[in-house]
Amino acid sequence: MKCIITIELGTNAVRIFAFDLNGITIGSMKGYYPTFHSQPDYSEQDPEQIFITMLYVLKNLLNEKIHPKKYKVASVCFTSSMHSTLVVDKHGIPLGNAFTWADNRAKKEAIEIKASPLGDLMYNSTGTPLHPMSPMLKIAWMKKNDTQKFQQAGKFLSIKSYVVHQLTGEYIIDYSMACATGMLNIHKIAWEPEALRFAGISSDKLPQLMPVFATAGTLKKAYQNSFGLSADTKILIGSSDGCMATLGAGIWNSDKATITIEDSSAVRVVGNKILHDEKKRIFNYLITENCFVSGGPSNSGGGTFEWFSKQFGDFAAAYDIDSCMNSLLQEAAKIPTGSGGLLFLPYLLGERAPIWNPDARGMYFGINIKHERQHFIRATIEGILYEIYSIGKMLNEHKNISALSVNGSFASIPFCTQMIADIFNKPVYITKNANSVSIGAYLLAATEMGIFKTLDEAAGQIEIAKSYSPAENHHNTYMKYFDIFESLSNKLGDEFAKIAELQ
Amino acid sequence: MNQTVLVQGSSEELVLFPHIIELSVVKNSSTQLNAFPKTIASGIKFLYVLDGKFHWNIHNGEYTVYPGDAALILPGQEFGSPSGVLEIGSFSFLHIKASLRDADEIILDKWSSLSGNEMIAISKILLLNSPLVITKINEAGKILKCIHQELCNQEVGYYARVNNNIDELFILLTRQLTRQNNPGRDFPKTFTKLDEALRQDIAHQWTVDEMAALVGLGNTLFNEKVKSYTGFSPLNYLISIRITEAIKLLKKRNISITDIALDTGFYSSQHFSTTFKKLTGFTPGEFRKNNSYTE
Repeated sequence: MKCIITIELGTNAVRIFAFDLNGITIGSMKGYYPTFHSQPDYSEQDPEQIFITMLYVLKNLLNEKIHPKKYKVASVCFTSSMHSTLVVDKHGIPLGNAFTWADNRAKKEAIEIKASPLGDLMYNSTGTPLHPMSPMLKIAWMKKNDTQKFQQAGKFLSIKSYVVHQLTGEYIIDYSMACATGMLNIHKIAWEPEALRFAGISSDKLPQLMPVFATAGTLKKAYQNSFGLSADTKILIGSSDGCMATLGAGIWNSDKATITIEDSSAVRVVGNKILHDEKKRIFNYLITENCFVSGGPSNSGGGTFEWFSKQFGDFAAAYDIDSCMNSLLQEAAKIPTGSGGLLFLPYLLGERAPIWNPDARGMYFGINIKHERQHFIRATIEGILYEIYSIGKMLNEHKNISALSVNGSFASIPFCTQMIADIFNKPVYITKNANSVSIGAYLLAATEMGIFKTLDEAAGQIEIAKSYSPAENHHNTYMKYFDIFESLSNKLGDEFAKIAELQ
Repeated sequence: MNQTVLVQGSSEELVLFPHIIELSVVKNSSTQLNAFPKTIASGIKFLYVLDGKFHWNIHNGEYTVYPGDAALILPGQEFGSPSGVLEIGSFSFLHIKASLRDADEIILDKWSSLSGNEMIAISKILLLNSPLVITKINEAGKILKCIHQELCNQEVGYYARVNNNIDELFILLTRQLTRQNNPGRDFPKTFTKLDEALRQDIAHQWTVDEMAALVGLGNTLFNEKVKSYTGFSPLNYLISIRITEAIKLLKKRNISITDIALDTGFYSSQHFSTTFKKLTGFTPGEFRKNNSYTE
């Protein structure tokens, strides 16, 4: 019996799944690794710890779930979070930690390029918004602020490229992860010379560009022995977590959108056209030729509600955040739609789409003497979802969206899912397997094996577990408040900048 | 100034207790200049505020303490009033003999019934959290009062009771401190602190007891929380950090494999080698050969 293993190098943990060829989960395990914040705006991870954690989890999964049942691993498919930047020297040895997607030290570089004519050119060619998360800007920052490291650099990698290099000795990057560097010309599928010039590097400092289906070389002998895997086990470079969550939600090439809300969130669509946004707010990640995942990411989401719970919830037992959040949700459900006119702007971590303002900050607006604790709970949830709606609205300007597939630990809470349906006034469905990133990676690997002819066909396999219909009366109420929400978000630019400066 | 004082050498009550340097209640009804200068502690000092409000300088930090608050000053730490002034109010004060071994373990004498491992765990927590100001801990006041009464009344069993109460004071302050610093709401934050502590002293032979105590949880709940948050048991998580650090050192040529093993907390190069090979498939030597280059 053959099986497929997917490895997701996520924001704070590696998650490894094993699927049989029918897409049934055989087993899964995770391993946590820390993020270091040595200064404000800095967010780093240790590539060696990520690698070791991956080895540990993979080995345990193989020994406990795969080898005892005599499965033969046909392929191992990688996905990872986007925008990480790791410098290795010419021997492949890391020069310090990797910068994660959340590292904002390249703020100045982002402002500089946005204000220059280069900004338009870059968005047109790379299809990616200009934001400190972009590896192009992180490298430009290094050139100026860490010259020694910059000069010693042999390659600029993502964490995924580093891990794959440890296993096979090859330096490669797939199209979708390359898009996330902000340096790929998505029309020509080649590194964009202007972007390289801005970053200050030549293309030989970057890994080799490969399609998402590419094999990333052969597993080194020592790892074959240690894992008990044969030399013909394919190591697939795979894609990014965002793109795979979209595939795993089953919305490929359709008029549907997917909403993912974990700690942070995103709304995405897939199509054969680049969504060119005049205001440069939408990302377009190339998956295969003429296939793009487009959308917008938000810094708010389940993490924002968790913040609220930790501050204002009741903890019956130490660290029991789940039951704390559950009782808050029950309280929120008692309050009518619209929270009696209390509004919340969820910008605790600044915001990306649609306002792309790292200085944005949170706010409760419209408080009156009748508002109670429960109103604040519900308003917090509504505010998080208004922000998701504003991304959906931005995408709807370019592409008609008829239905939504929702996943992620926060979005799939029934109370939240119904609220999404009502706010969007569109039917919403939840898929059977909640681990959409891993399912997406499985579908990619299965397509590579020929089990499915195309990714479209693969996406068609995704089964719906539950549907939610919108209630129009609630939608109308929500829209009245959303109007105010949207104008506040746009109006407060100066005040956001001033308060961020003081903080 | 009105004081009730027992001092080693002049108070008969302390003859059987050579480890108690001083036990007193200081009651001060008017501000006294130059009466409370900063000094470096030999041994350990406990203070518990009964009345008034004090500004104290403890180990380079300034704190305002109120009735019900306690402060703990460890060997070698500076303590006193920033301006040398003794402010109006009253506090209990206990000074006992103690020393530091290798700057990271507090040594009490045989009178204490805390076990060696418990003392290592308590030392870790106190040293990592210092300076130590613990707020709203009325229990500590009661224990100090009880020690005082036992010493003065000398009823049967008082020797054991005095010493038990000093142990109890250590336990109480340590537990309260971990709870004060880890309020039981944010496990990721608590785990980050633990992760930092492990990294700062990766060569130390950490036990699960010590790690659990550091974040203020009992062993059972600690194991469960770490496992569900990280996917690792606490000891396996520790091994993942050790191997990570070892890998970085192996990629440099200038440190021997035995030194790497010991520096990263393995008890022998054999133990290091087996653990490393089990995880990576390479021996440390092979790994180094494949991954480092002489310039």
